[in-house]
Amino acid sequence: MEKLMGTVMLMLDGSQITLQIFFITLVMALPLGLLAALGRLSKLRPLSFFVEVYIWLMRGTPLMLQLLFVYFALPMVGIMLPDIVAALLAFTLNYAAYFAEIFRAGIQSIERGQYEAAKTLGMTYVQTMRRIIIPQMVRRVLPPISNETINLVKDTSLIYILAMNDLLRVARTIVQREFDMTPFVVAGVFYLAMTFVLTWIFKKLEAHYAKYDE
Amino acid sequence: MQNTMNENNVMIRMHQIYKKFGALEVLKGIDVEVNRGEVLAIIGPSGSGKSTLLRCLNRLESIDGGSIEVEGDFLAVENSAGIATYAEASLSKEILGKMGMVFQQFNLFPHMTVLENLIEAPVHVKQIASDEIIPVAEELLRKVGLYEKRDAYPARLSGGQQQRVAIARALAMKPDIMLFDEPTSALDPELTGDVLKTMRQLAEEHMTMIVVTHEMAFAREAAHHVIFMADGNIVEQGIPEDIFGAPKEERTKAFLQNML
Repeated sequence: MEKLMGTVMLMLDGSQITLQIFFITLVMALPLGLLAALGRLSKLRPLSFFVEVYIWLMRGTPLMLQLLFVYFALPMVGIMLPDIVAALLAFTLNYAAYFAEIFRAGIQSIERGQYEAAKTLGMTYVQTMRRIIIPQMVRRVLPPISNETINLVKDTSLIYILAMNDLLRVARTIVQREFDMTPFVVAGVFYLAMTFVLTWIFKKLEAHYAKYDE
Repeated sequence: MQNTMNENNVMIRMHQIYKKFGALEVLKGIDVEVNRGEVLAIIGPSGSGKSTLLRCLNRLESIDGGSIEVEGDFLAVENSAGIATYAEASLSKEILGKMGMVFQQFNLFPHMTVLENLIEAPVHVKQIASDEIIPVAEELLRKVGLYEKRDAYPARLSGGQQQRVAIARALAMKPDIMLFDEPTSALDPELTGDVLKTMRQLAEEHMTMIVVTHEMAFAREAAHHVIFMADGNIVEQGIPEDIFGAPKEERTKAFLQNML
């Protein structure tokens, strides 16, 4: 029992880096994804094209490769980033691309009449997006955003290869040292707990937005 | 700028309006004048261009040729090559701000309550303080008979109620001109009555209105002037008594016969 507690304490430490990567990525990737979605929908062709290429690159290559690139390849051209910053950069750019496509689909699903009503009331593009389109879009994209967010929890385990002591790496270290599989089970419980909390939060959000019907 | 209009009571003048969607010419040189306080009804079969004409007036569609004048200011003028060019942004915004629009599909904002729908544009476009505009909005809701629905979301209302909220929302911006694009076409027949009543009431208050409609009874009783359109042209126009009582053109006769 004492041994198990020791394992759990060590892994709580490891879960801190996991949680850091998760929260900071989420906080940066959501707004960046929204900007990318708006850029992708822009009538400025160069902007829209640039965002399209960015999304293609991020979705078309493995996140693992992107992590390795930022971590090992950038220093070769003289760009040295602290470990955590390198990891956050790769995660944010990758997740923003996925969020962007979800937001774009959400924005495009809003009826044309909403834009026309806003226009005839004198609202500007920014007012229309901020007050009319995006609030309705958020409600519609909650389920896919919830999906991606849960994926992010699990994808944080990829930083394992960057020799950062995240939850999974701590577990493996203990397993190798003590020939005991319990840490893997504990790690599984940690991930499940995180996704449980997230699922609960998204349920609450969906309930909040359900106050109006469409 | 008022001096460009000889008759003081002409409020809107659309001159030789041309509009194409791709290769399809939907407006083929339309002239329309609307006097202050007048109700103009535009009738005609589907695809005649009547909704497009209305949407060109408030720039939901852009015209290809012709000019549009509202209370002496030009929203669009025609250059020597016959191409329409629009007024610069601030003048355009001022002119468009004089017009309120009611859509066939209501287009209320579903994530806002009835009252929030009404005050949204006054607060954020006109920068009116909300405690100043709320009493105005409540008065408008009383007028359309929906005060008790002020905190309801649009989806909880019937189509007819939603359309009356949409009318109140447009009125909250204090427009000089109200445009109605088939306001009762999406409603069940038994729900059109209250919407038409609200529109009649507006007409009695001398609101300048342009109404694209399939409601012949409304056009006949509430309009001062009726335009019959077909295939992008004005086929016939005049006072309701003449258009409905003694139409001259075969096209008009056939259309009216079908509508009865």
